[in-house]
Amino acid sequence: MFKKLYLAFGLGVILIYAVSTLFGWEFFNSGSRSTLRSPFIWFGGGYRGGK
Amino acid sequence: MSVLQANCPSCAGTVEFKSGSTIVVICPFCRSVVARTDRALEDLGKVAEIAQTESPLKIGLRGKYLNNGFELTGRAQYKHEAGGVWDEWYATFSNGWVGWLAEAQGRFYMTFYQPQPGVQIPNYSDLQVGAPVPLNLGSTAFVVAEKGMATAAAAEGEIPYQLVPNETNYFADLSGAGGAFGTIDYGTNPPFVFVGKQVSLQEIGLGDARPAERAAKTVSAARLNCPNCGGRLELRAPDAAERVTCPNCDSLLDVNKGSLRFLHSLKNLSSATPPYLLEIGKTGQFAGRDPMQIIGAVTRSVNIEGTKYFWQEYLLYNPKIGFRWLVQSDNHWTFVEPVAAGDVVDSGLVGRGATAQYNGEGAAKGKSFKLFQHAIGIVEHVRGEFYWRIETGEKTQMSDFVNAPFMLSKEVSFGKSGSEVNWSLGTYVPLKDVEKTFGVEALPQPWNVAPNQPFQHKDLYKYGFALLGLLILVSIVLLPFTSGGGKVKEQNFNLPPMANAQAAQIAFSEPFELKGNRNVEITASAPLSNSWMDVDVDLVNEQNSEVESVPINVEFYSGTDSDGAWSEGSTSNSAILSSVPAGKYTLRVEGSWGNWQQPQPVNVVVKQNAFRGVNFCCAFLLLAILPTLALLWNWTFESRRWSESMFAPVSSDSSDDDD
Repeated sequence: MFKKLYLAFGLGVILIYAVSTLFGWEFFNSGSRSTLRSPFIWFGGGYRGGK
Repeated sequence: MSVLQANCPSCAGTVEFKSGSTIVVICPFCRSVVARTDRALEDLGKVAEIAQTESPLKIGLRGKYLNNGFELTGRAQYKHEAGGVWDEWYATFSNGWVGWLAEAQGRFYMTFYQPQPGVQIPNYSDLQVGAPVPLNLGSTAFVVAEKGMATAAAAEGEIPYQLVPNETNYFADLSGAGGAFGTIDYGTNPPFVFVGKQVSLQEIGLGDARPAERAAKTVSAARLNCPNCGGRLELRAPDAAERVTCPNCDSLLDVNKGSLRFLHSLKNLSSATPPYLLEIGKTGQFAGRDPMQIIGAVTRSVNIEGTKYFWQEYLLYNPKIGFRWLVQSDNHWTFVEPVAAGDVVDSGLVGRGATAQYNGEGAAKGKSFKLFQHAIGIVEHVRGEFYWRIETGEKTQMSDFVNAPFMLSKEVSFGKSGSEVNWSLGTYVPLKDVEKTFGVEALPQPWNVAPNQPFQHKDLYKYGFALLGLLILVSIVLLPFTSGGGKVKEQNFNLPPMANAQAAQIAFSEPFELKGNRNVEITASAPLSNSWMDVDVDLVNEQNSEVESVPINVEFYSGTDSDGAWSEGSTSNSAILSSVPAGKYTLRVEGSWGNWQQPQPVNVVVKQNAFRGVNFCCAFLLLAILPTLALLWNWTFESRRWSESMFAPVSSDSSDDDD
């Protein structure tokens, strides 16, 4: 049962990844449409935090 | 086939020599061994009556081997010095071949005389069990499986050599890969070598020869009385039993052709010895195997550094397939079946890193096993019946090699005149399977990790790695959707000096088109030197005035200190937005900077379909959590397993599935 749940979880992760790629969703960004409302990730310096 | 009829020199009854190769025939009336000589018939003495076994064979049966028909025309029964008998059936082939069909413990071996011209056959005393035999036996390599002494106990029908009643001879059984089998008979000078292979009755055309008779020959229990206490006891394998214990007075009894003889009383099990958990007489059938009955149980021990470790072995019996074992150690269970010594390649080493390879049939074929334990096993207590003359205190040199869920065990036993090596293959049985098979409940839970206990959660990391592979595959397929980074808009803004340090300057871009379902990357670049600039970029949808705000911080500092030149930050920075609805957009750029008294140029670039690995990395990390934990769990499991071994590997290379 646990293996089935794990497989379902894993396939779900891959599905979400594929859909986000196709629809241009970014889970980490600085815009107001940020899916996770997460802070800005700075390319040059890694996880920088908000302004 | 011409038949020579004559009269028995002992009783004058009619005897027949059907085969030209027959040397002696057993008189069916008086059991005299009648030998054919150049001039007359000679009486070599009487043989005992054949001990009835559960053999499905009988004289007169016809079969086929390698497309050549044969008939069983004689039977010699030999007694092993350790107790028990085995049969050798004389197979007369229609093409003139003379073969021997040996039958022991439910297994059959077809062998033929193999001349050894120019080969010095090793002396009996020079043979070592488990060691290779320097004989001319074709491409098959043989090792000595057993050295022993056999007594011609009984016979019937025709025999192709001069069988002398009760004559005792040395022999050595050989075992080769793929069921190859051989025997060196030291009863002649030079010794005769017989070579062949293990066969099934189906293989030699006898599988369905007499199904009705064979079906009727299922085991029949014999009820007897104990000669010590007079209590009733039952023999479940009366034709094979050599020893039995009395359930009433706990005596060890010798079984000889159905009669019992008191040997001695058994000591009670000590408190340190685990109790027997399965009852003698219980019948069960493991999935995919034949039904078997528990007919005996033995407690054994090893002494390691002054500490005794106990385990128990249950002897299982089915008359059609012979004997098997169910071993219980630390409440872990293992089903054990015998394998041919020739199917095992033993490195011959004892110590850390020693291995053995199993080349027989089944799921363990081709697997390499690591030595786990090497010790002297001692019989502490017995219960039930056994097919050999078991004794308390009996010692066996044991080596256990493991590759979970299998265990390859080597047992070397030493008799009065010979020795024997027995290999067996054990398969781990989950506790619940034992309970279900024998209809028992609440067997004690196992502790620690058994030498051959499989790690039950390998699927977790197998599935995990499969999912990670699938993720990589999907990301490759989707690569065209995530790369390209097409530039949509680039514009230079020259912001005039700010009125004060808090009064930001604002500028607007020309309108531009954005496509839907593509991320948006906005990069701001400013020629800074030891300064900073905050650029708040608003992406304004011209159709509905919706705004996406993106703060971008740019700062760049450099200088020289005692360590030399240094720099920090960059003159450009980017932010990524999720896709926005397709349409016409304008940039509203609001800038503030350190040198606010000076004008500040800034370049803003808008791209779509920018390549980013963040989503992929997130998915990868999510999928990698469980398999990573499972790998760590497996590593801990293997460490616990090998912590119980006498030969724990030094390195962490303890995985057992490296086949």
